[in-house]
Amino acid sequence: MSLFVAEDISISFGGIKAVQDVSFTVEGGEVFSIVGPNGAGKTTIFNLISRIYDVDQGTLTFDGQDITRVPTYVVPEMGIARTFQNTELFDQETVLKNLLIGCHVHRQSNFFSDLLFLPSVRRQELAFRQRVEDVIDLLDLQRYRDQVIANLPYGVRKMVEVARALCVQPKLLLLDEPSSGLNPEETEDLSFWLEDINGDLGITIVMVEHDMNLVALASDRVMALADGALVAIGTPSEVQNHPEVLRAYLGD
Amino acid sequence: MRFIRKTHYAQDINLFRHRGDVFWYGLLVALLLVAPAGLDRFYLGEFAQVFIYAIAGIGLMLLVGFTGLVSLGHAAFLAVGAYTHAYLMNLGVPLPVALACATVFSAVIGGLVGIPALRMTGIYLAVATLAFAVIVEQVLTHWVSVTGGFRGMAVARAELFGMDLGRPAPFYYLCLLVLIGCMFAAMNLLRSPTGRAMVAVRDSETSAQSMGIHINRTKGLAFAVSAAFTGLAGGLFAHRIGYLAPDAFTLLTSIQLLLMVVVGGLGSLHGVVFGAIFIGLLPQGIAIFRDVVPPAVAQLPGLEPGIFGLILIGFLIYEPLGIYGRWLKIRLFFEEFPLYRKATHKRQKSFLKTERLR
Repeated sequence: MSLFVAEDISISFGGIKAVQDVSFTVEGGEVFSIVGPNGAGKTTIFNLISRIYDVDQGTLTFDGQDITRVPTYVVPEMGIARTFQNTELFDQETVLKNLLIGCHVHRQSNFFSDLLFLPSVRRQELAFRQRVEDVIDLLDLQRYRDQVIANLPYGVRKMVEVARALCVQPKLLLLDEPSSGLNPEETEDLSFWLEDINGDLGITIVMVEHDMNLVALASDRVMALADGALVAIGTPSEVQNHPEVLRAYLGD
Repeated sequence: MRFIRKTHYAQDINLFRHRGDVFWYGLLVALLLVAPAGLDRFYLGEFAQVFIYAIAGIGLMLLVGFTGLVSLGHAAFLAVGAYTHAYLMNLGVPLPVALACATVFSAVIGGLVGIPALRMTGIYLAVATLAFAVIVEQVLTHWVSVTGGFRGMAVARAELFGMDLGRPAPFYYLCLLVLIGCMFAAMNLLRSPTGRAMVAVRDSETSAQSMGIHINRTKGLAFAVSAAFTGLAGGLFAHRIGYLAPDAFTLLTSIQLLLMVVVGGLGSLHGVVFGAIFIGLLPQGIAIFRDVVPPAVAQLPGLEPGIFGLILIGFLIYEPLGIYGRWLKIRLFFEEFPLYRKATHKRQKSFLKTERLR
């Protein structure tokens, strides 16, 4: 059974049909990319999956459960973590604290145990820290650990966001343009990290991406969108050479 | 300059980072413990007042500095705590029980106020909480059977196990004890998931939701906790002033409380204490100012709120990090003595969301 299924999802904002009757499935363990020109509805699909927007029609199924109407904050608990196109980090806090916030879904303590900082809370904090350190090691963020986000360069922030999403320990990771704002070297590093995240941690990845080299290198399957509608799904080379896709990008 | 070598994750979790911290805070507490021996009644009272401000300030700081919600109505929670406590004390309820009830009741009211406030941020929230404060003031004036209306109500003597806590020294110790307890509670919250959720909501709601944080629950909790601390301070405040009347809990009091956390330094518990000392001393300062300036100025109506406002604006423009921020800079200057560079603190374009009043 597929890990994630979107069936005929649509959403419109006023008169603009941002996404129309798009269906696709994501298999467990694959890297699935969504490509398309600006305004094609890629990020909107992400916002639908992470339940920031409500679909007008259609259903979303994750891991056998219907998530079409679950509240936003439940989505990460179910195992879906995401990053944002223009980084949404907690700017006044250190990298460490940002990543600890990523561990929030695994919280066992409640308000009163936190108030007294019972030994169980301390154990939980140590466990969270261990998890955070594992992610820091994976993504090589050691030297930024105690720095405040507001002082970090954009490329590092992008990686911190990926790290924070990994702290959720998701089954499905949504990356919204992970390579935008990265230099070529950082983009290359990113492709290795995607491989590690996908291969070693076994996390399924869905990403919106404009860098076709990265898409071709990293993804198993690609979906192309144009004007909110699905144009093609297939292997990277199939989609790249699909006549409709070429028309969407280059015109007639 | 001290370099801390970290060998265990617990070092980042513990409240005291190193032995120096333990020594200095220990010294501070020791000094405060022996202070009553050398101070006269007046100053003991003033100190107790500063402690009470600081307790209320912890509450307001959790809301404004850490959750990013502005409240212009915290005098109302102070009043709710004070009146609940006084009412129960007058019924003969023992002091700790009455204080606990005042705290819990304020928390409940805070939670209820939090519900409509969930949809508002920034200036709108400030106005909504201001409206709440006005409502509470009206209730205090008109619910004569409980509050005594305009005439107010006397507060029963603070007594515990036959000990008179109303005298300056025991009352001083009571306030100090409660303040230290509240400080530990707030620090515990801030180093655990509850506090981090608040900070997350402050910095980015979208992102907080995507990390599994329930925004409304966090905001409601922040309101309740904030009101609880302030209500507790209100209970002590009732004993401090001895006679409760609505005019002790006006808009000016709310502004004073907000001034305290902003001037002290938003987003730090040190700031609360600095702010409380500042607010505690300010009335004295204004009294001296009145003696110095010509009568035409000294008699101006609204002089006191005006000065409060000016100070608030001054800090927002020139030192957004408050007294605590300034203290950090001074400390850095001495730590790095000959090497200090002015550019270290060049203003960067980053503010707490609270300051921006989204």
